[in-house]
Amino acid sequence: MTNSLLGRIKSLLGFSTVPQLSLEELQRLFTEKYCNFRELLTANNNALEAMAQMENALHDGRAFSMAFIRSNATVISVNIYKMIQCLVTMADGRYGMLEERFADIQQQLDNIINHDVIKVEGRWFLPLHEATRELVDLAGEKMANLGEAGSLAGIRIPPGFVVTGSATRYFFQQNNLYPAINRIFQQTDPSNMEDLHERSNEVQSLIKRAPLPIDLEKQLYNQFDQLVQKSKTPVKLAVRSSALGEDTRQASFAGLYHTELHVDRDDLIYSYKSVLSSTYSSRAMIYRLTKGFIHEETIMCVGCLAMIDAVMSGVCYSQSISGRPGAMDIFFSAGSAKGIVDGTKDTQHYLVERSAPYGTIHQTAESSPADARLMDEWARDIATAAMILENHFGTPQDIEWSINKEGLLYILQSRPISVAGKKERDQVGKRAVNEHCLLQGEVTGCAGTASGPVFVVRSNLDVLRIPKHSVLVVEHPLPQWAPLLRKATALVAETGSEAGHLATIAREFGVPAILSAKGATKLVNGQIVTIDATNQTIYKGRVEALLQHDQPKNNPMDGSPVQKAMIDALQLISPLHLTDPTSPYFRSSCCQSLHDITRFCHEKSVVEMFDFGKRYTFKKGAAKRLVDNMPLEWWVINLADGFIEGFDSGSNYINISEIISTPMLAIWEGMHAYGWAGPPQASVRGMGSLFFQSTRQPGIDPAVPSAMVQKNYFLVSRNYCNLSVRLGYHYAMVEAYISSLRTERYVTFRFKGGAADERKRVGRVELLAAVLEHYDFRIEKAGDALTARVEKRSQAFLFNRLKILGYLTIHTRQIDMVMDAPGQYKRYLDKFLLDIEEMIANEK
Amino acid sequence: MSNYSILVVDDEADFRDIMIKKLHKRGLECEGAGDGDTALDMLNPNKHDVVLLDVKMPGKGGIQTLKEAKQKAPMTEVVMLTGHASVESGIDGIKHGAFDYLMKPMDVERLIEVLDAAYERKRTQMEKIELAQVKKHMAMPS
Repeated sequence: MTNSLLGRIKSLLGFSTVPQLSLEELQRLFTEKYCNFRELLTANNNALEAMAQMENALHDGRAFSMAFIRSNATVISVNIYKMIQCLVTMADGRYGMLEERFADIQQQLDNIINHDVIKVEGRWFLPLHEATRELVDLAGEKMANLGEAGSLAGIRIPPGFVVTGSATRYFFQQNNLYPAINRIFQQTDPSNMEDLHERSNEVQSLIKRAPLPIDLEKQLYNQFDQLVQKSKTPVKLAVRSSALGEDTRQASFAGLYHTELHVDRDDLIYSYKSVLSSTYSSRAMIYRLTKGFIHEETIMCVGCLAMIDAVMSGVCYSQSISGRPGAMDIFFSAGSAKGIVDGTKDTQHYLVERSAPYGTIHQTAESSPADARLMDEWARDIATAAMILENHFGTPQDIEWSINKEGLLYILQSRPISVAGKKERDQVGKRAVNEHCLLQGEVTGCAGTASGPVFVVRSNLDVLRIPKHSVLVVEHPLPQWAPLLRKATALVAETGSEAGHLATIAREFGVPAILSAKGATKLVNGQIVTIDATNQTIYKGRVEALLQHDQPKNNPMDGSPVQKAMIDALQLISPLHLTDPTSPYFRSSCCQSLHDITRFCHEKSVVEMFDFGKRYTFKKGAAKRLVDNMPLEWWVINLADGFIEGFDSGSNYINISEIISTPMLAIWEGMHAYGWAGPPQASVRGMGSLFFQSTRQPGIDPAVPSAMVQKNYFLVSRNYCNLSVRLGYHYAMVEAYISSLRTERYVTFRFKGGAADERKRVGRVELLAAVLEHYDFRIEKAGDALTARVEKRSQAFLFNRLKILGYLTIHTRQIDMVMDAPGQYKRYLDKFLLDIEEMIANEK
Repeated sequence: MSNYSILVVDDEADFRDIMIKKLHKRGLECEGAGDGDTALDMLNPNKHDVVLLDVKMPGKGGIQTLKEAKQKAPMTEVVMLTGHASVESGIDGIKHGAFDYLMKPMDVERLIEVLDAAYERKRTQMEKIELAQVKKHMAMPS
C-alpha cells in the first residue's frame, strides 16, 4: 500500500518508479515470465477440459466410473497446483494465500474421490446357518439372506458354508491384486466394448493365476471335508457368488456373476477363484458401471452349498410381476433352475393367490391329473414359503427354489424384487396391432415401446459390432447379453420368461423386452421396427402413435453411489463465484472452488503479462520505430526472436519486412487492408463532448506524453505479439500467442474508452461485440469496456482473427461520436462485415 | 518441433515397447528402462532431453527416481505418467520439478504435445543459462 502510494506521488511529480532495463534484461525477464504464463495457460486449459468432461458425463446420461472421477479430479487438481506455482513465480511471490485455499478444497475433494477397499474384518468361513443380515459384510447379500431364511420356521435351505469377504481380501492383498486391478481399470475405456472385454479378461486371469495362500487353501479344504463328514454321503457343491451390493432392491446383478455347479474337492480351489474373478467379468463391470456402483466397494463372498438333486426347480415372485394385485408368480421346469433363469428351457407358469390357501388362479402346465394334483400341492408349499420370506424380509421377494426326490422344498435364494410390475396391455397398442404387425411374442419382459434398426446377435463376436440404439434380437435371453442392453433400445428373444435373468436386468435398465417371440431371429439386420413390449408386438417401421406414449428412460445411475460422488466432487470443483475481476471480493482468500482458483490465476496472470510494459521501462534503443506511411507512430520491441536474423540492433528504425513475428504481421495486414475513411461527421454537440472529455481525462489525450501511452507499441517474439494502442480517445490491446501447440494458442482483445458520452461509447462496444461474436470470439462487456477471446483453434483461423482485430482497431476510431445517429449502427455493422468477408475470403 | 531424445521409464514392458515404437515413428530418438535404478544409470544429461516416467514401479518408485534424476540431470525435463491417479503423487511430482503429471491411457498426439512443450522449456532454460554465461564472459553489465 505504502509503495503504491509512493508510486502514485512520484508519478504525479513526474518521476518514474520503474527501473529502466537494457534490452537483454527486458528480453530475459519477458522470456521467464512468458514461460510461466504459457505453462499456466496450458494447465488452465487442461483443468477446464477435465472439468467439462466431468460436467458432461454427469449431464449427458452416460455411465461413468469412480476411476473416471478420480482420474479427472486428479488432472484438475495437479494442473491447478501448477497454475498456482506459475502465478506465484510470475508475481514475484505474491498470492501465497492461494496454496492454503487449494489445500483446503483439495482435502475435502480427497475425502470424496478416494475410496479405500472396504475393510472386511473377521472370520474367513461361516457355516451357512450362522449367516444373518447382521453379518452381511462378511457373508455378502445372497448368503446373508439365505442363511437368515434358513433360521425361519418352515424354510429349508441346503447345508453349506460361506467363504467370507475377509478371506477374499486376504487372498487379494497377499497377491497385491488391488493396485494391479485399479491400474487396469483406470486405463479402461468403458465406452469401448472390445477394450472392456480385453481388460476384463486381463483382470480375471490375474485372479485365476494368483495362488491361494496356503493357510486359506488348507482351511477351505477343511470346510469341504467337514461338510462331507456331516452329510455322510458324497457331496458336490454349488459354488455361488454373494457379493456386497448384489441381490438388493436397487440392483439384482441377476446372473452376472459366475456359479459353478457339481463341484467336488478337486475342483474346489479353481471354482472358488472362478467365482471371485467373475466380479470383473465384462458383463458385471458394465452392469456396475451402468448402475453407478463403486468398484472398490464390491467385495465378493462365496457361498458353497450342497447340491440338491432336484426333480423340479423354479423361481417365485411373491408379488406377481404382471402387476396383478393379490397374486404371485411361480415359474418352474423339471430339473435345475438354470434353464429357467437362462431362458433356454420351456417354462411353466402358475399364478397363485397370495393368501392361504393359495389357490391357483391360472396355470399353463399341461400334465396328467395326478401330476397336476402334486403340482398344486407343491405350489401351495412354495407360496407358503414365499409369504414367510416376504413377511420376514418386509418386501416382495424373488425366490429360487428346488424340490428334491423326496418332495422336500429347498430355498436357494431370496432377494427383493428389483423393479415394479409391468403395465397391462394398453389401448393404443391394441389399435396399432393391425397396422404393420411383423411378429407377436408371448411374454412381456419389460413393458414399454421403442424403435430402431434390428440387430440379430448370433455369436459372441457380434457383441462388439452392435450399433447404438439397435433393437437387440437373440435366440435365448442369456445373461451374457446383459452388456448389450446398454446399447440397445429394446430386446426381443425367441425364448424365455419373465423369470429370466436378462428380463430382470431389462426391467432394471428400463429396456422394453419381448420374450418367447418365435421367429424373431429371422428379422433382417438393419430393418427399422417398433417394439410394443407392453402388447408383445413388433411392427414394421416407426409407429409414431405408439412411440409418442413412450415414457422417457430413467438414467440407471440416478441416486447411485458413483453419481453421488460425482455431484459432491463437482460441488467443490465447478461453481464459479469469482466472476467480476473488478469486485473487491476477487481475492485469493475468496476462492471457494477449484474453478475459482483457475479463474483467479488466469486473470492475475493475464494482468501480470499485460502490465509487463507498464511495470518495466526500457532504455532508449530497445524500441525500433516502424517505417510506415500511416500517420501514426508504431514502435516495436523484440522480446525474443521476432526480428530477422542479422537485424542491425544499433538501428533506430525497422521495416515491416524485417519482422518475423507472425501474429504481428497478421494484425498489421488487417490494419492496412483498407484505408481509414477519416473521422465520422459528428454534430456540434458531439465535438463539444470530445473537447470536454479531453479536459476531464488527460490520460486519453494522445497529446499528453507518457512512457507507453503516446506511442503505439508492439512487443513481439516469433509467435507472440502484444499491441497497445491509443488511437484517438480509446484504448485497445491485442495479444496473441500462436505456436504449433494448439492448446497454447490464443488471441485476446481489450477495448475501452472513447470521447463521446457513455451511451455512445457503449453503443460502439455493442457494435464491436456484434462483429466479434459473428467471428466466434467469446465476449465480456462491462460498460464501455469489452474483452474478446478465442483460443485453441487452427493457426489459419487465429491469424484471420488477428487481421479482423487489426482492421477494427483502425476503423472503429471515433465512430462512438455518431453511435446515436439513426441507422449508423447498422451501416457500420454491414460495412465491417462486408470488408472483413472480403479480407479473409482468400484464406477460406 | 525438432528431434529430441526421450527416455521412457515404465515397468510394464508392453506399454514401454509400444510407446517407444510410437515415439520413434514420430521421429523422436527414444530408449527405454524397466525400473528407476536402470533409468538413473542410463540417464545422460547430454543426451536425454525429456524423461517419460511411470509413477508406480516396483523398487525405486517414480517420485524417488524423479528426485535423483533431477539431481543428476537438472536440465532434463521429466513428464510423469501414471495408471494410478493420485493427487498426492501428482503434487509431489510437480514440487520436485516434474514438468507435467499425466494419466494413462494417454492419447499419443496429446502426449507428444506435452513432450514438445517439455522440450521447449528445456531449450529455453538452456538458452537462458548460455546467455548468462556469454554475458559473464563478455563482462556485460547486467
